Amino acid sequence: MSTSKISIPKFNLRDKFGDWWEGTTRNQRIIFRVLLIAFFYILPFLDNPVFGTTESDFSSVLFYPMGMYVLMAIGLNIVVGKSGILDLGYVAFFAIGAYTHAILGLSFGFNFWINVVLGMAFAMFAGVLLGLPALRLRGDYLAIITLGFGEIVRIVAINVNFTGGAAGLAGIPAPPSIFGVEFLVDDPRPYYWLVLTLTLLVIWAYMRLIKRRPGRAWEAIREDEDVAEFMGIATTKYKLWAFVLGGAIGGGAGAVYASQVTSIVPELFDLNVSIMILACVVFGGMGNLWGVAFGAALLGYFPEKLRFLSDTRILFFGLLMVVMMNIRPDGIIPRKKREKVYDKNTGKEVSR
Amino acid sequence: MSDRLLEVRNLTMQFGGVTALSEVNLHVSKGEIAALIGPNGAGKTTVFNVTTGYYTPSSGEVLLNNESIIGLKPHKIARKGLARTFQNVRLFGDMTTLENVMTGADSRNKVGLIGSMFGTAQSRRDEESSHLKAAELLNFMGISHRGGQLARNLPYGDQRRLEIARALALEPKVLLLDEPAAGFNPQEKVELGELIKKLRDAGFAVLLIEHDMSLVMKISDRVSVLDFGQKIAEGTPSEVQNNQRVIDAYLGVADHAS
Ligand SMILES: Nc1ncnc2c1ncn2[C@@H]1O[C@H](COP(=O)(O)OP(=O)(O)O)[C@@H](O)[C@H]1O
Ligand SMILES: [Mg+2]
Repeated sequence: MSTSKISIPKFNLRDKFGDWWEGTTRNQRIIFRVLLIAFFYILPFLDNPVFGTTESDFSSVLFYPMGMYVLMAIGLNIVVGKSGILDLGYVAFFAIGAYTHAILGLSFGFNFWINVVLGMAFAMFAGVLLGLPALRLRGDYLAIITLGFGEIVRIVAINVNFTGGAAGLAGIPAPPSIFGVEFLVDDPRPYYWLVLTLTLLVIWAYMRLIKRRPGRAWEAIREDEDVAEFMGIATTKYKLWAFVLGGAIGGGAGAVYASQVTSIVPELFDLNVSIMILACVVFGGMGNLWGVAFGAALLGYFPEKLRFLSDTRILFFGLLMVVMMNIRPDGIIPRKKREKVYDKNTGKEVSR
Repeated sequence: MSDRLLEVRNLTMQFGGVTALSEVNLHVSKGEIAALIGPNGAGKTTVFNVTTGYYTPSSGEVLLNNESIIGLKPHKIARKGLARTFQNVRLFGDMTTLENVMTGADSRNKVGLIGSMFGTAQSRRDEESSHLKAAELLNFMGISHRGGQLARNLPYGDQRRLEIARALALEPKVLLLDEPAAGFNPQEKVELGELIKKLRDAGFAVLLIEHDMSLVMKISDRVSVLDFGQKIAEGTPSEVQNNQRVIDAYLGVADHAS
């Protein structure tokens, strides 16, 4: 990474929080988690002038772009941040998930809960089809292949009939109510809760993977792919897993998105989406889940918060990005891992 | 069947027009330290890169435990019992010292990605054994106090020790060490020599590339000399030391270097 020219005293959020976190007891951690999760569920009710967005509906913003960005950025982070695979076509999975729900919902009357699972499955399948040949390549070549993949999915959607062509598909069914929560066109909150729930599930699975063997394999591949092979790691398999799991999350996000917006056109799924989600990952802190989630939420939030500036907001947004990348080139909460303490005999991690 | 754990026969490796190895024969047996020496650019590291499956040789055979391994992917070969270190230290810099070693230990385990996600009994057993084995190896290499530090932050000598610990975590039969003493002071070189002998006595077959002649001559059971991709001599340390072709090869390099 480049050295920063502007020197600002390092405010190390990660270390401050990390120190505090390591000093907490098990019960305190549970309470903290519960409170944090509760906070996110009640967030739609905290629409006030300071917090909320005045020009656009806060609950809407929470669902899209914020919630969607966070979910997708977490998915892409497995690929780009954790495993070091540069994927410029992430939008393809999002599109596959969206069209899966749209087509199966409209033509076959499948309900959303089935379609979201199928959308993830199709996205994973597409990930295998693309990943098997593409993941033999590295760096620039891989980036270009994945970029092409993103474009191909969009172009196919324009040119075949069952996707509705360039006109897209309208009247996509909403999810049936679940636990007494109704999904209505004029209330984005249930959709936000849905994305939030999915995000929490994804985080749960992710945390388990990264502190175990798959996480070590992915990091080793990111650090030095050749050496990872020499250490007995099936690099192709683990890269494919990263790619496919990231794809599944993108596919799930797509199905949710389609069910909320109720109509989709191919142009929604252009390169900009891939770039935006990649920006979330880089801006937040590649390879660090919390950084990525926070970064994605901010990148979703700011353009909406600054909406009163109308067109110049994009300029401000761009400036913010440039300044941030200078001050914190590794992202808001950089990946730089904290040192750990292990028991000398068992190798188990102990809190200090 | 022979007791040769690793054997290369008539190995030739060409890179475009460059012949890095030409008809090379080498072998290492259980409980033996075989050294591979020769001037820079002689093709020593290339021998490692071919035997570990990184390059497919232009011709010749590579046998691990009497079984051909040509065409196998490096991770398959590693799991069959071939582990290596690198001339220029190549650690997983952003992982802790313990995690570096665990990557090798993991490769001996069964648990897959789904099992890890759901925390199956297998996954718990495997995690525990990887942690335990890594901790043991750090103790063995005398760097357990570094366990929690990021590999990139370790002093140079400990990085070299970590590379050996990581290789050992694969529970290999054959250990390939590429200039492990580079950058070590005399005291550290003596300790390294003792360590390598200890590994030999524990039953590993060690193939050692090393420039420090006093170390090589002191610990090796057999020395092979490469020059311009060809094996020009092989024998006991004293045989090799008195071989005229070997002396010429080294003097020749001294001429070029000056
Ligand atoms: N990937 C490669 N492509 C082209 N030439 C190579 C490659 N790897 C090694 N060589 C060449 O093979 C020869 C032997 O290199 P190497 O095995 O690294 O020597 P040593 O380890 O004995 O110093 C050198 O001339 C080197 O330039
Ligand atoms: Mg070399």
